[in-house]
Amino acid sequence: MGRARLRGKYVYPGIALAAIGLAAALVIGLPDRPALAQSQQSSAVFLPDGKLKLPTGFRNWVFVGGPLTPNGLNGGKANFPEFHNVYVEARNLDAYKKTGSFPEGTLIVKELTLVLKPTFPDGSRTEPSGRGFFNGAFNGIDATVKDTKRFAKTNGWGFVTFGHHALPYAASAAESSVSECAGCHMANVAKTDMTWVQFYPLLRDK
Amino acid sequence: MKSRWNWACALSTVAMLAVTGSSQSSETRGATFTKAGELMLPKGYRKWMFIGASITPNGLNSGSAPFPEFHSVYVELDNFRSYQKNGKFPEGTVMVKELSLVQPGKHPDGSLDSASGRGYFPGSLNGLDVMVKDSARFSKTNNWGFFTFGHHAQPYNATAKESSTTECASCHIANVAKTDMVWVRYYPLLSVQID
Repeated sequence: MGRARLRGKYVYPGIALAAIGLAAALVIGLPDRPALAQSQQSSAVFLPDGKLKLPTGFRNWVFVGGPLTPNGLNGGKANFPEFHNVYVEARNLDAYKKTGSFPEGTLIVKELTLVLKPTFPDGSRTEPSGRGFFNGAFNGIDATVKDTKRFAKTNGWGFVTFGHHALPYAASAAESSVSECAGCHMANVAKTDMTWVQFYPLLRDK
Repeated sequence: MKSRWNWACALSTVAMLAVTGSSQSSETRGATFTKAGELMLPKGYRKWMFIGASITPNGLNSGSAPFPEFHSVYVELDNFRSYQKNGKFPEGTVMVKELSLVQPGKHPDGSLDSASGRGYFPGSLNGLDVMVKDSARFSKTNNWGFFTFGHHAQPYNATAKESSTTECASCHIANVAKTDMVWVRYYPLLSVQID
């Protein structure tokens, strides 16, 4: 009992203080502390049927780059039509920049948009800033999740598409077949943690 | 017990220092002007909200686009939310446009063949333009001031003076005065009510 009282008097306030500090740290975020970041919960949510739930909130994650493959330059039908805007959470980006690999649980989201009202055959149009391509309607979501147990057969990453079409996207989606997604990533970017870092300045540039 | 107390205090201190350190080093909020009235280069903007990226390739603009070539635009989340709600940006809003070149391709239009198709892929970063909403300071140009920190590789200029009306503001005034001087039509997130 005496020991318990002492614990109550001296130890608990100390732990409480630590808890307050840690809670503040977790709420505000610790971009420079990957060890803590890795212990945070993944934003990937799998349903009981094994499907991945449509990610939310990703548009205010960090944008790492947006390649463009216009339909007009791809026989009228690009594989990923047309802008590919890619988002990753800050804590996972920071960890990648430090270690060269993404933490377990990392979710990367690619949102497609069509180009705005093409007037040239390549899909471009002329605006006051010049001839080029401008973001049009939203056109689909693809996502990839690092889960080395669940996706051991495809280098630790699972690939999922929620449809290449206008909003709304599918509410959940099953893993895509190897030939649809993972095969190309394994063949080309296995050495950079399955990610096309060469196309994303924030991942590629030191 | 004493060691636990010390451990707990140390942990708490480390946590608090980490919070303070990260908030000081990684980001600035809003606009900071020097005594001479120049705008200081914003920091941390790549972790703001990205609202869209146009591309005007040099290959489609006689070799020299006015904004070469990808234009990635960022705004702070609370200012974005405010625009979604009210249709205008709050006083003090900073919008950052970072340019990146395309990766050189073999086609005359500058496009590149890759595994995902023929198109344009971001290459090296190539400049920074900024606009700041400050109705007292920039009343002559519809409440926004326009700045460029150079259209070139990093490092960008540390400060920038306001660009002349003909360089930036006049085109915004002529074309997008009704949408708070912003080219809303190129940034679907500003006109679609989604998270």
